[in-house]
Amino acid sequence: MILFSSWQGEVVDNRNKKEPKSPKAIALPEEFKPGEKIKAFFGWDGIVICDDSVDPVDMALRYAEAMLNESCGKCTPCGQGARFMRTLLEKMAKGVATNDDIEGLRSLATLIKSTSKCSIGQTAPVPILHVLEYFGEEIKGRVSSKKPAQAGRYRYAVTAPCLNVCPSSLDIPKYIEEIREVRFEDSLSTIREMTCLPGTLGRVCVRPCESNCRRALVEGSVSIKWLKRFAADFEMGHRKKPRLPQIPPSIGKRIAVVGAGPAGLSCAFYLALKGYSVTIFEKSKEPGGMATYGIPDYRLPRGVLTRYEVDIIKGLGVEIRYGVEIGKDIMLMDLHKDYDAVFIGVGAQTSAKMGVEGEDKGYRGFIPGVRYLYDINNGMDPYPEGKRVVVVGGGNVAMDCVRTSFRIGKTDVHLVYRRSRAEMPADPEEIHDAEEEGVLFHFLCNPTRILEQDGKVVGVELIRMELGEPDQSGRRRPVPVPGSEFILETDILIPAIGQAVDLSFLAGCSDMKLTKWKTLEVNPDTFETSIKGIFAAGDCVTGPDVLVRAAGDGRKAADRIDQYLRGIEPGPSDEERFDRLFSKIKVFNKNEKVEVAGGMERKELHKLDPEVRKWIFDEVEKGYMPSEAITEAQRCLRCYRIGMIAY
Amino acid sequence: MITVTIDGREIQTEPGKTILEVARANGIYIPTLCFLEDLLPIGACRLCIVEVDGYDQPQPSCVQVVTDGMNIRTTTEKLLEMRRDILKLLLLDHPLDCPICDKAAECKLQDLVYELGYDRAIAEGSVGVPMLHKPPVKWSTIGINYFPSRCVACQRCVHVCLERVGCGVLEAGKEDGTPRIFPAHPEKCIACGECLSVCPVGALTEAVSPLKARPWEKTKTKTVCPYCGVGCVIELNVASGQVIKVTTDEAVPPNYGTLCVKGRFGFEFINSDKRLTKPLIRQGGSFREVSWDEALNYVAKKLKEIKEKHGASAIAGLCSARCTNEDNYVFQKFMRAVIGTNNVDHCARL
Ligand SMILES: Cc1cc2nc3c(=O)[nH]c(=O)nc-3n(C[C@H](O)[C@H](O)[C@H](O)COP(=O)(O)OP(=O)(O)OC[C@H]3O[C@@H](n4cnc5c(N)ncnc54)[C@H](O)[C@@H]3O)c2cc1C
Ligand code: SF4
Ligand code: SF4
Ligand code: SF4
Ligand code: FES
Repeated sequence: MILFSSWQGEVVDNRNKKEPKSPKAIALPEEFKPGEKIKAFFGWDGIVICDDSVDPVDMALRYAEAMLNESCGKCTPCGQGARFMRTLLEKMAKGVATNDDIEGLRSLATLIKSTSKCSIGQTAPVPILHVLEYFGEEIKGRVSSKKPAQAGRYRYAVTAPCLNVCPSSLDIPKYIEEIREVRFEDSLSTIREMTCLPGTLGRVCVRPCESNCRRALVEGSVSIKWLKRFAADFEMGHRKKPRLPQIPPSIGKRIAVVGAGPAGLSCAFYLALKGYSVTIFEKSKEPGGMATYGIPDYRLPRGVLTRYEVDIIKGLGVEIRYGVEIGKDIMLMDLHKDYDAVFIGVGAQTSAKMGVEGEDKGYRGFIPGVRYLYDINNGMDPYPEGKRVVVVGGGNVAMDCVRTSFRIGKTDVHLVYRRSRAEMPADPEEIHDAEEEGVLFHFLCNPTRILEQDGKVVGVELIRMELGEPDQSGRRRPVPVPGSEFILETDILIPAIGQAVDLSFLAGCSDMKLTKWKTLEVNPDTFETSIKGIFAAGDCVTGPDVLVRAAGDGRKAADRIDQYLRGIEPGPSDEERFDRLFSKIKVFNKNEKVEVAGGMERKELHKLDPEVRKWIFDEVEKGYMPSEAITEAQRCLRCYRIGMIAY
Repeated sequence: MITVTIDGREIQTEPGKTILEVARANGIYIPTLCFLEDLLPIGACRLCIVEVDGYDQPQPSCVQVVTDGMNIRTTTEKLLEMRRDILKLLLLDHPLDCPICDKAAECKLQDLVYELGYDRAIAEGSVGVPMLHKPPVKWSTIGINYFPSRCVACQRCVHVCLERVGCGVLEAGKEDGTPRIFPAHPEKCIACGECLSVCPVGALTEAVSPLKARPWEKTKTKTVCPYCGVGCVIELNVASGQVIKVTTDEAVPPNYGTLCVKGRFGFEFINSDKRLTKPLIRQGGSFREVSWDEALNYVAKKLKEIKEKHGASAIAGLCSARCTNEDNYVFQKFMRAVIGTNNVDHCARL
């Protein structure tokens, strides 16, 4: 039950109330970790108290101490004022403060909140002001009775709207500030603490951070992705020696990683940094998984991941054995026997079925999306005679299929999607680019039948759709309009509506538990599968997802494997628990009125002209120049904020 | 062009400029402490705050750009109060050692407090015993002293080192909860003293000259640095007939306020007792001090003799990069027209 809450201006006061109300603005979880109840929460938008053993003055003092710790000292109000705020709160907690001190604290906190440079100074005074406002009586009583505060137990962590939604937990405000301060290499080191694929993510990440960026509430989000690319390209372009942490002496334990995709590579990198010897088994001839065989060169030039970033990983002593398929050349259970731990990152590599008549007949011209891209990325056109292409789907794989089609000389390229443009999961930037290149979009259509002649595709029958009620995903469900069928002629039909996990690697291993979506079942806290000592992450666990998640989970799995091998019960770190807590509370508030007058537009990247780029595989986007990157970095508001719990 | 209103005055300006730039260009004063013209805005001191219609909170004018139709107020009661309070925070434990501070009377903090006033402490008990003159701590070069207790953490030094010098020696951080500057990468320091030159207070002081003077005791003489061909403009700060410091002028090319280690700190030789200030003639094994007339006559006589006996091409002239262009011009003219030889050279060519 909540005793008092003042989150986002909604005050719910259940003290001495018979019928307690619950706040709508905040959903505070009951527990921080199993068996550890959250008794109170102090944060950027107010305070929540659930237990009357919590002394708000003591907690305010501890919060001010946290603020003093986190204040970077780079602006006067917070840098100089935080110390003094703590001094005044200390007096209050000891019961020796005067009324003047209380007034002084109020005016100081207000000044810091109004005039500080970043969100630490702008938000940290908020809970302290709320204590002064809503617990004034208690404070006055304490001033007269000289009663000291009760010391409680607290934990705190720092977050930011962008950082909180990043599946790899990159310290975004920090690396952007380092670019602003012309410390490009420091910036890359900050990024590398959390991912070993900065140049790759800097190009193709789906950037959930940018849709949670507070600057978007002013004039447009900060180009978080492009700034990351800038930091990565600076090192690569200037042939700087990558700065990596010192590797500790070998621990003498061996780990097998299955699959050199983003998940496997990340897991291997962070295990190697901890001193393990890691061997990756990869069935193809090149590393990178879907980022290499799926994502085309015009978005992610081959060298960035497969040579530059993988070379750094190999430089740490990670061995990659290409052309070895687990489940065929070596059995999974043999790895389990021979190695101290096994990590599985085999991805979701087979195409999902559309459920359309004729799709399993093997017609020439019917090519699943990932297969199509795989062939092209290997340098061959899977069906050179076919010139007309229809791609079905609305995600990034579908976008890659249509845009790549021009680049191998197809002339007529169509995209069929069953909902409308607004619902397309693909990056809007890419939809725009595809449109510029001349892809013809057919929204609210779905294939019903493949037309065939002599074993070859000649067309596809489509039916028009209407948007009905929203489904679980919140998007409106498309329903067919009876009798609206029509025909689109084509030589090639490409379904790109999702992938599934190829489970053949499990040959001879019957104990592995799967989910109902035929993905590996893992304990979300430990990344361990149903077989002890075998861990998994990436698309083979989540189903087809995105690079940052695969890479981030790969890194987290490395931490768990390390715990497991050291005989510690594997589980999330406190930071990870705070990340989860904060995402329940929600760090980004899209209704916030950001007090920044704006006028600094997002700096766009230069792109090749559509008529030039659509026929070639050259990278479409040209990265920032240093001066552009610094200007863009200046737009970041450094939205760090502190969340503290009493337990 | 866009239109903005500052303190009731309508002003036409270009987009992309900051409020502070537009205000200054139109003669409207906004106090600043950390702002430096040729750098990207630092945004540290928060004294330049102004009010903008539509926003409850003040906006930093050195960072915030103007947008069309913006209505700006630079001097309201509320702003003055906030600026005063911010200064009080800077004064919380700033040592009141102005009487022995090199910067007294040239100090931006003194000026600002003088301008905005100081009525009462920000809260009771906030002003501790002023820490008088804590000794300086190590900086990245021996030519400069750093007095942390006087530092207002404006970070001008940090940013000038990054953006103007391109060295990145300094980092802003904290010590015992107090903002401080750390010479984090001393190995990159080229001892140019740019940080010293932009420090608005007495936190960075020059440690070369044993002699100090207040501004009204000094005369400044503008001249050209003799060290290299760039020809930076320098100002010799002279007191009691001695050069005690070198400064420069931000408004003047070619250096627009910047100097290198030699130009800024290499003035000790002027006061050196090892310097030759009178001509000497070698007689036997030793030197005899002579008058200029005697010396010049002696040299003229000898040169004439050599020229008569061996011809003009037996004489060569070597002049110095330490001399000005004009000196060198006259020198080669003398060699060619008076002596009659083209044997002229210059140490900078070697
Ligand atoms: C066309 C396409 C475009 C995409 N675009 C984007 C994008 O723009 N942004 C984004 O964030 N995400 C994108 N994704 C998704 C992203 O590529 C994946 O989420 C990510 O690659 C998953 O990483 P992973 O390591 O889990 O698996 P994968 O990348 O699939 O890697 C698995 C690896 O395991 C190997 N392997 C499989 N089975 C075995 C076996 N039995 N033995 C040995 N090795 C094996 C595979 O060869 C492969 O190298 C895209 C995906 C596709 C298909
Ligand atoms: S943390 Fe933010 S508000 Fe605090 S001193 Fe640094 S810049 Fe200022
Ligand atoms: S402005 Fe900066 S810190 Fe704030 S959400 Fe955007 S990227 Fe993150
Ligand atoms: S040393 Fe001077 S220039 Fe540097 S931060 Fe301190 S006061 Fe500012
Ligand atoms: S002059 Fe604008 S913040 Fe210092």
